[in-house]
Amino acid sequence: MSAPVLWIGLPLAAAVGLFFARKREHLVIVLAGILCFLLAAIALLVPIASLVQIGPLSFEIPDTLTILGRRLVLENGSRTLLALIYITAGFWLLGSGVARTNRLFVPFSLLMVALLVAVAAVEPFLYAALLVEMAVLVSIPMLAPPGRPFGQGVLRYLIFQTLALPFILLAGWSLASIEANPSNQTLYLQAEVFLGLGLAFWLAVFPFYTWIPLLLEQSHPYIAGFIVTMLSTVILHFMLNYLDTFAWLRASQLFYTGLELVGAIMVGTAGIWAAFQRNLSRLMGYAVILETGFALVAVSLGIGAQLNIFAQMFLPRIVGLATWALALSILQRQPGFRGFSNIEGLLRRAPLAGAISLVAYFSLGGLPLLAGFPVRLVLMETLASQSPLAAFWLLAGNLGYLIGGLRALALMAQGDEPYQISETRTQVVMLIVGALLLVIIGLLPGLFLPGLNELLATFPRLR
Amino acid sequence: MLIDIVSYAAFVLLLGTSLVLLLSQNWRWSIIALALQFLGVFGLVLLSWPVGLAVVKLVTGWMAGALIGASQPAEELEDATFRNIQGTVFRLAVSLVGLILVIAAAQGLAGWIPAGRPILLGGLVLIINGLLQLGMTTRPLRVILGLFTVLSGFEILYAVVEQSVLVAGLLSVITLGLAILCAYLMAAPEMEEAEQ
Repeated sequence: MSAPVLWIGLPLAAAVGLFFARKREHLVIVLAGILCFLLAAIALLVPIASLVQIGPLSFEIPDTLTILGRRLVLENGSRTLLALIYITAGFWLLGSGVARTNRLFVPFSLLMVALLVAVAAVEPFLYAALLVEMAVLVSIPMLAPPGRPFGQGVLRYLIFQTLALPFILLAGWSLASIEANPSNQTLYLQAEVFLGLGLAFWLAVFPFYTWIPLLLEQSHPYIAGFIVTMLSTVILHFMLNYLDTFAWLRASQLFYTGLELVGAIMVGTAGIWAAFQRNLSRLMGYAVILETGFALVAVSLGIGAQLNIFAQMFLPRIVGLATWALALSILQRQPGFRGFSNIEGLLRRAPLAGAISLVAYFSLGGLPLLAGFPVRLVLMETLASQSPLAAFWLLAGNLGYLIGGLRALALMAQGDEPYQISETRTQVVMLIVGALLLVIIGLLPGLFLPGLNELLATFPRLR
Repeated sequence: MLIDIVSYAAFVLLLGTSLVLLLSQNWRWSIIALALQFLGVFGLVLLSWPVGLAVVKLVTGWMAGALIGASQPAEELEDATFRNIQGTVFRLAVSLVGLILVIAAAQGLAGWIPAGRPILLGGLVLIINGLLQLGMTTRPLRVILGLFTVLSGFEILYAVVEQSVLVAGLLSVITLGLAILCAYLMAAPEMEEAEQ
């Protein structure tokens, strides 16, 4: 069995099977969770494309699968990415029972994950655009489940992600043309424009990010959080493919300046909007925008050791968003819940979910002692030495975001009701696991974060 | 000469059908316009691709139209805004501005995409009218029709530079996927709560 069959084909087949068994909710969740953790464990323990000997048994997982003349390749260097994706999916799927999502969530999310892994594997990577679009299409039924009206956020998400497709395909053609005709300067500009617009639509870069807060406000926060996290993780990682493949792009000052500018604007504007926002689910949307902005700025620092900052941002972001999404899902099931805009006294009615949603919020805001802080500190230090103005913008945006959190805290703590834990035991356990992870990563970053540098193993020219 | 006539006829067809899609409040007319639009797309793609490959666009487009038509989207097309005569005039005026923009931009785009004028005009007209549709509606059916229009415009331009069978096949899968999604989105709110 080749690596693509194992990490793409198997989850695809499982997703189809689980779809037909979706009425047995708990069984489906457990099976999908086990499959994800199993795939993550294999990714961590078994090398790809080299002989493995276990007692008398020896086998090898080939790294390539050829389909219709195109190749799906999952090299040994992809193992960290595979583990990250499947551990994330595993935790998210296991939490879906507690978050009370819908029956379509498990099979469709597994399908989406398999397609996103194919994005990282497909060669030539022109085809990745088509696979991302398919992943977006299969994600829609999760956001618009049967029997419930859906909001504009879903449609905007579909529109913006679909508009990326033409630009990425045209960028692929332009980049191929440059290889054939490297002296034509127009082609370089053309490729940068197409690629820039395509990535901007994909990553919801300024000014195309309006759908994110809307989607999180109008959809189930756990499902929307999963989709946004998975898409941004895979696409941010995939973006490095371009940088690794094309030497002229690595040498382009315009590319790095553009990333820094756009990233700073995203962090700045997300911070300002967050400071005036009191809707908890919209705040999560601004956190996603803020994180993407920081990630773009991290890439703009250049290749080499600085890129490790970019790689190390993945874990705090994923754990923070997952914990927050879970806490919001639990909060919205509380009796007397009147929407995420009416958060007065929420901390008193569901103290644990309320407090842990704030822990996740502040972790994503880079508050000291929490998971987001160590990487954020290194990023700001490095940026300040290269571009003080951009660092100032990032600091201002981050400050605005933290002010938004303090406002939310003040509102949630209002009232004179006694604090009363109303969460169930399972909810308490899952929330505490998330919060502990955020604290432990923040206290012991050296234990967790350096391993993420291996995410760059598939990009030898960037290290 | 004949090719020129056919290609400009296809451009006129695309202009007309994309306008009908933008203005019509009747789902039957919209589905007919969509079917004719894919015929126009086929006509222009035929200038770059062999018949066997180009016909994939036509068949896929018609299948997508049939899928949407089978969903009986009577109420799904009616816009809450722009329904009156002023709304129609506004859409028409904006579309006219778009057409002027297309004619102006086609010359410049020729330096980027090596295609003939009718192909550039046809592709750009669909993209502009599709984007207008997407910008002026909140209805799922109109959004999907807008996406079809934009993607069809892009596919006309992309056919000039890419002749891969696999890419054509995957683009067709996406067209059909959008049609299935459209049918699902129209039906989902009314479906039973059993899936919750």
